[in-house]
Amino acid sequence: MSDRLTGLLIAALAVWYGWMADNFEEGFGDPVGPSAFPKLLAVPMGLFALYLIVRPDPEPRWPTGRPLLRQIGMMAALVGYPLILEPLGFPLATALGVIAMALLLGGPRQGAAISAVAFSLGLFVMFDQVLGLHLPMLPSFK
Amino acid sequence: MEIFEFLAHGFAVALTPTNLGLAVFGCVAGTIVGAMPGLGPVNGVAILIPLAFTLGLDPASAMILLASVYYGTMYGGRISSIMLNIPGDEPAMMTCLDGHPMARKGKAAEALAISAIASFVGATLSTIGLTLFAPMLVKVAIHFGPAEYFALYVLAFATIGGVTGANPAKTLMAAAFGLALGTVGLDPVSGTARYTFGIFHLFDGFHPIVAIVGLFAISEVLIYLEHTHATHSAVVSVHRAYARLSDIVATAGAMLRGSFIGFVAGVLPGAGASLGSFLAYALEKRVSDKDGTFGKGDPRGVAAPEAGNNAAAGGALIPMLSLGVPGSGTTAVMLALLISLNITPGPLLFEKQPDVVWGLIASLYIANVVLLLLNIPLVGFFTRMLTLPMWLLLPVVVMVSFVGVYSINHSTFDLLVMVGFGLLGYLLRKLDIPLVPIVLGLLLGAEMENNYRRALSISGGDTGILYGSTITVSLYAATALLLVIAIVAALRRRRNR
Repeated sequence: MSDRLTGLLIAALAVWYGWMADNFEEGFGDPVGPSAFPKLLAVPMGLFALYLIVRPDPEPRWPTGRPLLRQIGMMAALVGYPLILEPLGFPLATALGVIAMALLLGGPRQGAAISAVAFSLGLFVMFDQVLGLHLPMLPSFK
Repeated sequence: MEIFEFLAHGFAVALTPTNLGLAVFGCVAGTIVGAMPGLGPVNGVAILIPLAFTLGLDPASAMILLASVYYGTMYGGRISSIMLNIPGDEPAMMTCLDGHPMARKGKAAEALAISAIASFVGATLSTIGLTLFAPMLVKVAIHFGPAEYFALYVLAFATIGGVTGANPAKTLMAAAFGLALGTVGLDPVSGTARYTFGIFHLFDGFHPIVAIVGLFAISEVLIYLEHTHATHSAVVSVHRAYARLSDIVATAGAMLRGSFIGFVAGVLPGAGASLGSFLAYALEKRVSDKDGTFGKGDPRGVAAPEAGNNAAAGGALIPMLSLGVPGSGTTAVMLALLISLNITPGPLLFEKQPDVVWGLIASLYIANVVLLLLNIPLVGFFTRMLTLPMWLLLPVVVMVSFVGVYSINHSTFDLLVMVGFGLLGYLLRKLDIPLVPIVLGLLLGAEMENNYRRALSISGGDTGILYGSTITVSLYAATALLLVIAIVAALRRRRNR
């Protein structure tokens, strides 16, 4: 079922991809133009996707229950981190990120807190101070 | 012998204090990453790429760092295979078969020593092969025109799954999908915006490093969360690896045979180290298994696959450096770094950037010696790393990835794209759709399209030029042949199930 769904999605993507290519403007004095290569790709992409619909592999085991919840939590942390990085500054955002991830990975609370402080400061010193990469340091309220 | 002159020049580059330091650091970091169950060579190199960026290394130094990490992960993979019966990475799978039984019989130290020496033999022999054969391939490749390059890319994409790969349909679909991802952004010839939805951040296309770190490193975290892992406590303590000379002599034949097979498997497009170790073990079993000792802790069953996978690692660098077409996932990641540093691998690289090529090759010899010296006395340290809990380790991996990707453009948009690729990578891995063709497509798409368009401009739009020379016809014939082999192998697997 998963394979069929993937095949359907990719086939639709291939059709859309090839159809979009039709509208690209041709360059001047360019015999091939920007739409030829995408059209060339859309064909095999669509055909192999169709094959997947006809002959799918056995169903993979998708996670359920607690592992799934932990994965959703991890995705939230991963998406959240880039959003808070610039507003909160690197050390604070990283400490929060590390705590969240360590807990999701099953670490003890104390250990997570200690590693969060150690890693956020350690990485900040290493990258910003030693390697000279400018990271946002303090919370900025814009 | 001009090769020796070049090599001497390479050693002059590689032996500067900075580069030597990077090589040693890379070897240690690579061994640690390789030893961690689950984190293989691709992840190791992908995670450390951002570091190469933030350090602001010049191309030669960056490649030396990554190549040392690459060789280091190949050495490290065997440690958890032997100690825990969990392969540290995919190519180290075969080492479990005889390595872990040896450890259970109380011969862990011998297994670690023999595998370290086998790794050294395999890697060194294949580095010698690289030194000799890469310049020869360059002499052929220099005559390639756009049509020949286009055919070469077709060959690379059609065969990337190799004979061991997953469902060939999935591999080929992934390659087309990756190539399609590569077309996102402004078309370099006409300046037309393609598939950008008017999003300004997408005009430069997807940065390959952002995609790679997401696909490999971030997806690894999601995969890990699926299982509830008990902390592995049953690590036998080993302080140092040792083996008697007679043990080494007894396995010398296995090492040499494994090296040869592994090297050939590495050079072939899409085959890589996993196939190298698999074939090396299979051959050794056929040649030496007279008393049925294989699978029960025969030292030759450790020596052959380790020599094989390390030899394949060196072999895979040949097509990457001389043609710009990588033969494995890890070399694809290294190619991404080179392209990001504005260096185009291929035959011209040997002429224009001898520092990069020969510095890299020389550093491989150095890395091998360093790794052998590290792995014999420090193996106790590396085995202790196996007991580090993942909740401590993975957040650091993620944070280093974030910082590294952030350092490319100082853009949080890139971080979100990386996380998006992480989720995509997780879903594709669950569906058994290989990631390497996608990375290769994204990476080589622009160059493939460029050659397609150049060939057709030369002929004035006549597609006959694409299959008009002996080289192109033979490349397409090879493509067809390898595809048929892959399909037959896949059908046979399906029937056996």
